[in-house]
Amino acid sequence: MDAFSAVLQGLPMTLTLTLSAFAIGIIGAVPLAVALTSPVAPVKLVARIFVDLVRGVPIIVWLFLLKFGIQIGTFKFNPVSAAIVGLGIVSVAYLAEIYRGGLQAVPRGQLEASHALGLPQSSTFFGVVVPQAFRIVSPSIATYLVGLLKDSSIASTIIVSEMVFQSQAFARQHPTVEGILPYILVGILYIGLSLPVAYLSRTLDARMRKAVFA
Amino acid sequence: MTVSATTDEARASHVGIKLNNISKRYGDHVVLDDVSLNVEPGTVTALIGPSGAGKSTFLRCINLLERPDSGTIRVAGHTIEPGKNVSARDLAALRRSVGMVFQSFNLFPHMTALKNVSFPQQRVLGRSKEEADERSMQLLERVGLKEKAGQHPGRCSGGQQQRIAIARALALDPSIMLFDEPTSALDPEVGLEVLSVMRELAADGMTMVVVTHEMQFARDVSDTLVVMADCKIIEQGDPRAIMSDPQETRTRRFLRAVLER
Amino acid sequence: MTWLAQWAGYLPQMMSGLGVSLLIAGISIAAGYPLGLALSMMVSAKNLAVRTLGLAVVEIGRGAPALVILYLFYYGLPKFGIAFESITAACLALTWNAAAYSSEIMRAGIQSVARGQTEASNALGISQRDTFFRVVMPQGMRSAIPGLMGVAIQMFQGTSLAYAIAVPELMKSAYNIGSQDFNYLQIFALAGICYAVISMPATWITVFFEKRLARHA
Repeated sequence: MDAFSAVLQGLPMTLTLTLSAFAIGIIGAVPLAVALTSPVAPVKLVARIFVDLVRGVPIIVWLFLLKFGIQIGTFKFNPVSAAIVGLGIVSVAYLAEIYRGGLQAVPRGQLEASHALGLPQSSTFFGVVVPQAFRIVSPSIATYLVGLLKDSSIASTIIVSEMVFQSQAFARQHPTVEGILPYILVGILYIGLSLPVAYLSRTLDARMRKAVFA
Repeated sequence: MTVSATTDEARASHVGIKLNNISKRYGDHVVLDDVSLNVEPGTVTALIGPSGAGKSTFLRCINLLERPDSGTIRVAGHTIEPGKNVSARDLAALRRSVGMVFQSFNLFPHMTALKNVSFPQQRVLGRSKEEADERSMQLLERVGLKEKAGQHPGRCSGGQQQRIAIARALALDPSIMLFDEPTSALDPEVGLEVLSVMRELAADGMTMVVVTHEMQFARDVSDTLVVMADCKIIEQGDPRAIMSDPQETRTRRFLRAVLER
Repeated sequence: MTWLAQWAGYLPQMMSGLGVSLLIAGISIAAGYPLGLALSMMVSAKNLAVRTLGLAVVEIGRGAPALVILYLFYYGLPKFGIAFESITAACLALTWNAAAYSSEIMRAGIQSVARGQTEASNALGISQRDTFFRVVMPQGMRSAIPGLMGVAIQMFQGTSLAYAIAVPELMKSAYNIGSQDFNYLQIFALAGICYAVISMPATWITVFFEKRLARHA
């Protein structure tokens, strides 16, 4: 088998990890972002500590904690679920911080105008603030997705057979010069995979800026 | 402080400005359409006109911050044909003899007022730090800001910043000063401080070209009033004459808009 | 209580690992910043070859996962007869990473400097060189500070990946202890705390700088 098909064997797992963790993050971050902007100080503090703690610890530590450290009765995480949950938790924290930035970037005047018009709280939040915040943060979300794609490679350290794991396996079987190929190919593959997202992010960035601030 | 007649004549041959047939376009958009202007040494020329007329672009062509597509520029004894390649040495020589003051001051925010005025002297004229600082202090005193020497621009009001910027330009001993809407970013009261410094400069015989919306200043201080509209000069001459009796309808419309508000 | 007692027992071995982590992070940041500046200048160079080379180095350093670059240096290059000690490989890989990320941050910082600054400098006849190094760069670097601090935190956390090539850093120390007495939960929790104790305050300081800069902008 050649290096490229070896690396490609890991592609479905890389995509599974990335998209599952992203889905967890996108949804899980919503309540956390609301908590981060909460006027209730203790709620805000707990949310803040959670976000900063999750981001302050490297991903590999979270994966090892889940994979080796958690045992409840007979339950233990298998490598794939540990990776998805670990990457998911980290995504929740990062995306919540991105959402919070977006919510706070909506100009105060928008709230004041809504209040002056007598709009109810829920319409103000979901009808006025959220749509604007979403436009502001969508480029950052795309950038985060690219980062998550790369971070999913860390799952290889807990024996999840994604692309980097497959590259390692191939390299180990080929002690010759050929053994360097999978590393180069997998690097190119990551860059190639992130190109469409980066492109999307750039067009979103330009379009959103125009839409929001023009 | 007035410059004597003899030196005036001696400088006359090489400190004026002659711009011939200057044209400039961005893509399909014409900004300057075959504009020519003479500025006699020791005179003040005020450039007025509606926004979008090309005044600032035209002014910035004089020291080649904007590169015209065609035409000839004779400034302070240097002749430059911007359509062709301009050597770095010619450009440096041109800019050394022409000082410029911007609407947004453009002081260097990471340097003190003194350093702002001294740094270009050290780098461009090769003056020692002591020489430069001495000259800077003289100039800061002249614009009434000696006590601000050690402050960073962020700590100074807009009017003070603009006066420091004038001192910075003067420190290189230019023979010509260009002003690009020097008071437009300032409150009317604060603008007066700047205008009074400019009046003194004019009285001392500095050759000046001023893009401005200050009609009073244009009328009282300038020797020549130049009205631009639609990428061209539409009228020029004695400021009082033009203001009281404009020849062109476009000029009349503009003057009515600014004077009768 | 038993946890705390156990942690106290683990701590000496963990501390030596933390020392190695900090060393790797320190080296890759110290080398990465100046290289990043050089790369940012290459990327905005007029010469096409220089620009392309700079862009390639930056895009690979940012686009490929740190783990892949780490493996490339440690497992890949030896196949060409170029072998490094594991700690050297870790430093090289993270330096590449740090340089690539900081070059983009510096470039953005330099581009954020108002056009008027260059114009004023040009109008004063100040040379291109002085305009860049004395007028534009100091201002651009100032606005790049929070981002560059972020890179430093990212590199410190990135040293944990060197575990994968058996560098005796914090994560590896934790794993070694864990494989002796199988108290994985305690040991990895302690490792996490060691990272967080440094990363979290560092992040707060970064945010503080960010806010201060925003106020003075």
